[in-house]
Amino acid sequence: MKKIILIFAIGFLSNSFAQGCSDAGICSIANSFHTSDREYKNGIEIGSIFGAGEADVSYFSPYVTYTRTVNERLSLSSKITYSVASGSFGKRGGLGDGYLIGNYNWKIKTKTQWSALLGFKIPFTSSNQKINGFSLPLDYQSSLGTFDLIVGLNLNYNKWDFNTGIQIPAFNNNKNSYFKEFSNSDDFPSTNLFERKSDALFRTTYTIQTANNKFTFKPNILFIYHLGEDTYENAFGIRENIKNSDGLTINGNLIASYAVNSKNSIELSAATPFVVREIRPDGLTRKFTAGLIYKYFF
Amino acid sequence: MKKIAFLLPLFFTLLSCEIEGELTRKPEQAAAIPENTLPAFTGDFMPTSGINVNGSAKIYLNANQNEVRLENFSISNGPDLKVYLSKTDKPTDFVTLGNLTSATIYKIPSQVDVSVYKYVLIHCQQYNHLFAIAQLSKN
Repeated sequence: MKKIILIFAIGFLSNSFAQGCSDAGICSIANSFHTSDREYKNGIEIGSIFGAGEADVSYFSPYVTYTRTVNERLSLSSKITYSVASGSFGKRGGLGDGYLIGNYNWKIKTKTQWSALLGFKIPFTSSNQKINGFSLPLDYQSSLGTFDLIVGLNLNYNKWDFNTGIQIPAFNNNKNSYFKEFSNSDDFPSTNLFERKSDALFRTTYTIQTANNKFTFKPNILFIYHLGEDTYENAFGIRENIKNSDGLTINGNLIASYAVNSKNSIELSAATPFVVREIRPDGLTRKFTAGLIYKYFF
Repeated sequence: MKKIAFLLPLFFTLLSCEIEGELTRKPEQAAAIPENTLPAFTGDFMPTSGINVNGSAKIYLNANQNEVRLENFSISNGPDLKVYLSKTDKPTDFVTLGNLTSATIYKIPSQVDVSVYKYVLIHCQQYNHLFAIAQLSKN
């Protein structure tokens, strides 16, 4: 336990960057895997994530999730996100994305349970929100404007969870029109009519619970591989690769939750990256995120 | 249940608020054209169907920076209007000069040979709708 605390303390003190999780969905995929031991059929989760992004951009990103347990095997979730970005361009905020996720649990075997999920991300914007008519980089957009397919698989073994997933932009409605050349800033790459590649994820989580079951700690490590270079349309209308925008990101994340009673719980989370992609045009990069979440079951 | 009845409307009220602050970074400004400089190319804007437009586009050739200037210009509102320097009267082979704003001067990238671009277009990129066309002629 001391080692885990030490590792995370080092991580939080280092000034590195992360694949953020404001929009991509894949970062919070682990939350969508539900075990089949739920006492209540309905759950509502209201949370806010505070983040420090690229350059001087900071974020306030609340969300709400509703989960319905259909039966012992199947549960369905829906989630709506919102995000406000503040930085040297100004302040811009709006609705982000909606998620619809189905989760299927296989029968529990000795100490192990497999579950799978299938989900969709639906954007509420086309990623071209402006300030006073001035086009903004993706770092200021509340959504990437892509309709995504999300597929995942989870293995729960004793106190360990291993989940893997892929997020595929199935339909692109990104109409962003940000050009670095017109912005008087080198902080962000041009992302005019941005097209994003898929992400693959692997996460390992270890669950520690106190004897009275009131406190739960979930340190986890998240590997995300961006499966290709993103592209944009340059000033001459020609599509160009954004070089070195593919590759690996490794994030460390610590979740601590307190069960007030069987119906109510409060959760704190903190995350920071250890390894990042060289170029991160999607605006999901965070130096650090901290979350406060309230869960209610009924 | 009372908690939900209280928290959800509060949350959705928050979500319904779209925030747009003031632009706090000044975009790059084009340098003013020296007085008495004559335009090299000129064209009057013609609207496409359902659009109102007035004014003209003029290209000025400076030693360091070629520019498009819009004069006496006004146009119907559009959500994502861009100024294109185009080889044809359709937005197929063009160079974008940026968002159409209240600015009247738009810089032309240095690598562009203006003599092969015969049109200035006002085009809505987001909905791929052409708003206005100015065919340029040499002065």
